[in-house]
Amino acid sequence: MAHINYIVTAHKPTAVSACETGNFTSPDDLNLIIAKNTRMEIYSVTPEGLRPVKEVGIYGRICVMKLFRPVGESKDHMFVLTAKYNAMILECQQDGENIEIITRAHGNVQDRIGRPSETGILGIIDPQCRCIGLRLYDGLFKVIPLDKDNKELKAFNVRLEELSVIDIQFLHCCNHPTVALIHQDSSVKDHHGRHVRTYEISLRDKEFTKGPWKQNNVETEACMVIPVPEPYGGALIIGQESVTYHKGDNYIPIAPPAIKLNPLICYGRVDSNGSRYLLGDMAGRLFMLLLEREEKMDGTQVVKDLKVELLGETTIAECITYLDNGVVFIGSRLGDSQLVKLNVDPDENGSFVQIMETFVNLGPIVDMCVVDLERQGQGQLVTCSGAFKEGSLRIIRNGIGIHEHANIDLPGIKGIWPLKMNTDDFDNLLVMSFVGQSRVLMLSGEEVEETELAGFDGDNQTFVCVNITKDQMLQITQRSVRLVSLSGGGLLCEWTHPDGRNISLASCNTTQAVIAAGSELHYFELAPGQIKHAGQTTMEHEVACLDITPLKEGESLAELIAVGLWTDISSRVLRLPSFESLHTEMLGGEIIPRSILMATFEGLRYLLVALGDGSLFYFSLNPTTGLLTNKKKVTLGTQPTVLRPFRSMSTTNVFACSDRPTVIYSSNHKLVFSNVNLREVNHMCPLNSEGYPDSLALANDTTLMIGTIDEIQKLHIRTIPLGESPRRIAYQEASQTFGVISMRIDVAEGSSSANSGPIRPSASTQAQSLSSSAGSKPLGPSSTGVGDMSDYICGEEQEIHSLLIIDQHTFEVLHAHQLMANECATSLISAKLGEDPNTYYIVGTAFVNPEEAEPKQGRLMIFHYSEGKLTQLAEKEIKGAPYSMQDFNGKLLASINSSVRLFEWTAEKELRLECSNFNNIIALYVKVKGDFVLVGDLMRSITLLAYKQREGQFEEIAKDCNPNWMTAIEILDDDNFLGAENSFNLFTCQKDSAAATDEERSQMQECGLFHYGEFVNVFKPGSLVMQHAGETLTPIQNTVLIGTVHGAVGLVSQIPQEFFNFLMDVQTRLANMIKSVGKIDHSFWRSFHTERKTEAAQGFIDGDLIESFLDLTREKMAEVVQGLQIDDGSGMKRDATVEDLVKIVEELTRIH
Amino acid sequence: MGDFLKGLPSYNENNFARYHAESSCRISNQKPTVYISTRDYPSDQVITTEKTNILLRYLHQQWDKKNSTKKRDSNRANLEEGAETSSASTKMPRLEAGDDSSQT
Repeated sequence: MAHINYIVTAHKPTAVSACETGNFTSPDDLNLIIAKNTRMEIYSVTPEGLRPVKEVGIYGRICVMKLFRPVGESKDHMFVLTAKYNAMILECQQDGENIEIITRAHGNVQDRIGRPSETGILGIIDPQCRCIGLRLYDGLFKVIPLDKDNKELKAFNVRLEELSVIDIQFLHCCNHPTVALIHQDSSVKDHHGRHVRTYEISLRDKEFTKGPWKQNNVETEACMVIPVPEPYGGALIIGQESVTYHKGDNYIPIAPPAIKLNPLICYGRVDSNGSRYLLGDMAGRLFMLLLEREEKMDGTQVVKDLKVELLGETTIAECITYLDNGVVFIGSRLGDSQLVKLNVDPDENGSFVQIMETFVNLGPIVDMCVVDLERQGQGQLVTCSGAFKEGSLRIIRNGIGIHEHANIDLPGIKGIWPLKMNTDDFDNLLVMSFVGQSRVLMLSGEEVEETELAGFDGDNQTFVCVNITKDQMLQITQRSVRLVSLSGGGLLCEWTHPDGRNISLASCNTTQAVIAAGSELHYFELAPGQIKHAGQTTMEHEVACLDITPLKEGESLAELIAVGLWTDISSRVLRLPSFESLHTEMLGGEIIPRSILMATFEGLRYLLVALGDGSLFYFSLNPTTGLLTNKKKVTLGTQPTVLRPFRSMSTTNVFACSDRPTVIYSSNHKLVFSNVNLREVNHMCPLNSEGYPDSLALANDTTLMIGTIDEIQKLHIRTIPLGESPRRIAYQEASQTFGVISMRIDVAEGSSSANSGPIRPSASTQAQSLSSSAGSKPLGPSSTGVGDMSDYICGEEQEIHSLLIIDQHTFEVLHAHQLMANECATSLISAKLGEDPNTYYIVGTAFVNPEEAEPKQGRLMIFHYSEGKLTQLAEKEIKGAPYSMQDFNGKLLASINSSVRLFEWTAEKELRLECSNFNNIIALYVKVKGDFVLVGDLMRSITLLAYKQREGQFEEIAKDCNPNWMTAIEILDDDNFLGAENSFNLFTCQKDSAAATDEERSQMQECGLFHYGEFVNVFKPGSLVMQHAGETLTPIQNTVLIGTVHGAVGLVSQIPQEFFNFLMDVQTRLANMIKSVGKIDHSFWRSFHTERKTEAAQGFIDGDLIESFLDLTREKMAEVVQGLQIDDGSGMKRDATVEDLVKIVEELTRIH
Repeated sequence: MGDFLKGLPSYNENNFARYHAESSCRISNQKPTVYISTRDYPSDQVITTEKTNILLRYLHQQWDKKNSTKKRDSNRANLEEGAETSSASTKMPRLEAGDDSSQT
């Protein structure tokens, strides 16, 4: 049976690779556009801040994204080039709220020959929009002429004498398109010097002609060209130590000391006349570069001088773009991106930069582990994210966190409601209901105490309580409907059932109330000081639940009520005040509805009905006709569920109280059910008091808890900043800790690196306790270096590696163990070894010597952490770098340089080498299952080894003979293996144990190929969601989580062949239906592509495309389903309906 | 004082004027909806790459330049032009001349 994979994105890429500002969505909109690998986010700049407009997926990795203003256009167009060389020119057309992205031009600009440049793809646009320039291959410059009237934009190549181009830009104010470039001379004679050249492009003759100026031997680290617009013209050359302005005879160099420390990596122009630029460096410092002008006698303006000012610290910038009124967006690849404001007056730290907002970025995810810290049966992911000062751990969990601020032991709460007494601002009372009684709590500041309220009925159970005005409240109890004064006036008026019957249920808003007594319904209109009985009816059966929430947001009058009934198990919609029945929906089954609620999410009306068994029906509700459509069912918990609305971040949400509390919200016009990190909630209400603003009050069987809720989103991310680069992570349950390998950079003061010290405080220097390996002070000749050069060297940088022990609850760094100088930790696991009952952290390290091609020496260290102390128990010297380690049935398996080695843990607590396997170039990754070992090689794909216990040796079982350069591997099951390689592809291989010959058996079959478009750093088996009880249509097994460089989290899981065939059919239909931006074929995008080969994708379903089915309109859904065959479990095929597919795809969305 | 930060560009003075420092009120907390299109808009223009090898293009250009000057001189028909070049220059064009003559 074939094993097929379903791959889907659980968290989209977050690392920013480019950002642009311009008028894209309309001539009057100022837009910020951010590229995040395969996705583009469009924002509008508004008085309130950045308003998200649209997210656009591209079938390709975005390498170039530039806005430009074609001649005669009133708004900007966008040029995009993908890594597979798909070029496109996009225009945004706005139609009211809707936008359309129109592909004005498209095509593939790949050449059949040519060596892709090591410095990557460079794409530039002539400021006068005469042409686009691309440097794709060494020695060639491609020009796309922008000719408006031609049906065909015919690109041509021009020979570029300079092979190694570092940066290239079009210059401003030139009669012909003119480029300025920095190139590196590769001849030895020239000492790899860098030079600046300019060329004019002749679009007619399709060749370069001599440019206006050139400059030989600029700084050897010159890395950036900044073209300067009118009136100055010319270009700025940014080096590591200097900034130079060039324009023919005008040549102004400066070498500000401030920029020397770290390389500058990006710039953003501030003024359209080019007099100010922002520069960002590797350390996250933001500078301003100023051009001082001089007016010549003839009125022309020239640059007189340059100045660089340090503005302050931000995230480590990858790209910078100025928005408006001093606000700047800083996109980051190594940390969170930021919105910052530049202030004229510095703050107390002397910084001109004020951080307004941060945008979470998980990238680069270097390593991660899956743990279930809260023991809820649901995994959460802890990643090593970011680098340098932006290094952090991120805890990613599905669902929404509630942070407890106070709790009171109060058993038996049956309901809670907040009230405002004589105030408009904050809630200051909390009404609680119990069986046979009710209580009022007064909230003053953070204090909570019981209080008496004249006229409040404390001797009955309350069903609902609400402010009618700020000094009057409505209380509906078992016995009566009561209007009570909050300013000491006591009971104002009251309604009791004429026959003295008890009220069984009630619902109200600020102007209306409805109560049920058995099968009778009574309707009341409320006004200050007045309860008016305004209607009544008798239902066919006893009422089980009811709701009178106004449907229109901001309106206080409800036109409809929703009712759920006993006996016939129905939900009904009635019109007020006539009780005219508008719609009756039989729910089926025997479980009675327990809670019913009308809610508006993202402008759409819904009716939610929760049943006694924890399941929930939801419908689209027509607010005029009361008609219910699109019936859907989802299982939330196993106990009766109570639905309560609340608002968070100015949007409506619903809290479903049950044994598995869930928050229901809407995203992309679809309801999302997100679980909450609490075990059980019986009742809840929103609370906004002075001491507890924007909070929730939650009650379970024993306690009342007040807490705040996270931002409502599907995946919740918590950040633990480390201030240095985390490299490896391992979880140790025994000590309730995480072990983390991290790296910081120390700078040597003066000539001797013996005085080196950390640049900034970080996790390894601020731990509660510190230790270090013997000789942690630098070794070798570098410490006795000659002092003469020191005047010029402002400090030699040194990487310092540490093992951090981090508390799993508080995420405090409990201990930091510093390794030796030039010792680099490469791997970390937590494992039990042999008969030893203790669990150890095992750290593998290599000594890095710049003269050696690969490490020749390293060590394996065994640490024990217990009772707050870290003890090193053993150490084993090895001949190389232990790139990867695994716990292998109580032994330690390590891949060391080209070998895979197995170590035994002896009774004397020493590591003893048992056996080795040598058949790799560099064995980078090992994974184990039973007696099998999967090895991932630097360039020779994957190999499966079996450990023969009796012989005490490894046997090579099978290998994949394709030349894949591996970046991560995983064992899916006994026969199937997953690999990621460095051209952003995934593949699966199968071991064929049943093959006839030895040779066939020894070769793995490549059975899955897929272009993922993300660089995978790590695979970990596990899942982020709880497995729900109840039937599912989606047979998913062996899920593996993926962590990538761009901060995306993906999920691969195996699905059976039948289901695969079905989904493949759906995928093909969707690929035809959905028109890609830039007109790139889905099959082209997903085809496995390396420099050596391109093959059609196989064996993978693109879950992201499948999920986009839910974004289609109903008609388009029907078109997709047309003729689609489904097996509904009976073995017989039948035509699928839209509902069938919606249900399947919705279930698929819940696997992540 | 950062005088160099004075007079930063302002395209619309209202932008960011009502920005809330409170994170709970920020509009950027909303997630942008995902763009999806089922309408096929024909593309106005197609981007292609000229297939000609750049060396050949260069040689052709040189050839054309040389000929265009001649053309102005003689302003004659193909045959004669071919004959003229063949007589005037060295080995390479002789082949071409042969071709021309065979066509005529």
